[in-house]
Amino acid sequence: MTFRISKMLLLLIGAYFLTFIQSYWHWPRLLLGFQPDLTPAFLVFVGMTMGAGYVSSMALATGLWLDSLSANPFGISVFPLFFVGWVVFCVREKIMTREFMAQIYLGTIASLIVFLFQLILLRMFSANPMIGWEMVFWSLLNAFFCGLFVPLFTLSHKAFGRWFSHPSYEPNKWLDNNRQIVRGKD
Amino acid sequence: MKQFFYRSRQTAVGAVLLALIVLLIIPGIARAKLKSTIGGMFLPAIGVSSVGNNVIGVLSSKSLNPVQDEVNDQAIDSDLKLENIHLRAENLRLRAAADWGLRVPWRTKLAQVIGRDSFNWWRRVKLNLGSQHGIRSNQPLVSIEGYLVGRITEVGLKTSWAVLLGDPNCRFSALIKSSRQQGGIVSPRRFNSNYRIVELTYLPNDIEVRPGNLVVTSGLGGAFPKEIPVGQVEDSWLSRDGLYLEAKVKIHADLNRLEEVRILTEY
Repeated sequence: MTFRISKMLLLLIGAYFLTFIQSYWHWPRLLLGFQPDLTPAFLVFVGMTMGAGYVSSMALATGLWLDSLSANPFGISVFPLFFVGWVVFCVREKIMTREFMAQIYLGTIASLIVFLFQLILLRMFSANPMIGWEMVFWSLLNAFFCGLFVPLFTLSHKAFGRWFSHPSYEPNKWLDNNRQIVRGKD
Repeated sequence: MKQFFYRSRQTAVGAVLLALIVLLIIPGIARAKLKSTIGGMFLPAIGVSSVGNNVIGVLSSKSLNPVQDEVNDQAIDSDLKLENIHLRAENLRLRAAADWGLRVPWRTKLAQVIGRDSFNWWRRVKLNLGSQHGIRSNQPLVSIEGYLVGRITEVGLKTSWAVLLGDPNCRFSALIKSSRQQGGIVSPRRFNSNYRIVELTYLPNDIEVRPGNLVVTSGLGGAFPKEIPVGQVEDSWLSRDGLYLEAKVKIHADLNRLEEVRILTEY
């Protein structure tokens, strides 16, 4: 199994559990009054760190899984998730994606965009969801959670990389500085 | 080829667009089947999760005094049996006196709530019984206490989805128990995060609706049998055009904390 395929599998398993937890773990709903949706944060993370194939595969899988566990018209969540993942993927070289605060902003904005897109699409498909000002407040709170989860996903990705892959070779860095022979005067 | 697949932006965008177009053009039945099939991918995780819950439940339910608990349970059970016998006898007497036909006895199946809708704008729950267990679409759901909860909307082989009271897709005819005036239960027009609030609308504008009035199902439309308790009126007002009355109803069942429900299979 190549590293790329195993990485894809790992991501799919992550997306699977993320959507499963969202539907089957009830305690966040009891605690907060609403069910947080962290899939926009997941797509931002994928867009920031991985390739185009990963973004499209994750948007498809996550969107379809989410809709299969909801009364939403099937496939309606795919496009909003793909959109945010794709935009982040396209502009990631131009923005400071390694900065903690930048990641928080990206997750927050992505969550709000996904929420708005989903609502517009639901209206376009003449579905009639329950919408009100409290829902807007929930979406803002959810955006905050998404913002927090983007750095968390990135950190866990780095940790997985450290645990399951060989350390990358950097020609100008010594593994142990004590063994380096310092040349030159003094 | 592999490089092309993973690196090409065009392929990635094309794949998503193609999938979306296919989803749009396939017929509704095929889409529903596909949705059910993809939803079925969560069955292994549901199984593992329910086994875990059962283990936790067994471990946490170990009482300090199991003998006393058993005695209490038996006492409650025998009390309920006695009350049931008394009520049945009374019911038979009254029916005989009024020359009224016998009602079809309700048959119910106990189901466990195993999941909820992923999105906050729908009120749906997933149950652990499906067509394999004799569950059909539109069967009513009542709580353990006997209050109306919702109805079955989608049935899979082993699981099913039920829409709860207050969801925009759960509308039915109801009446005020004391005055017998009929109206329709609908989702609150102004979104309310309180799961227990619904609206009773299209009530005649010349009646008096008071807070505390009980609301039950009317049996009209055939969606639900008659006289299932729904809730009680909290507030009422005249509609904007003045043609009918509307009321805020607080439903009896606590939909946010549902763990088990009864599905009426025969009624």
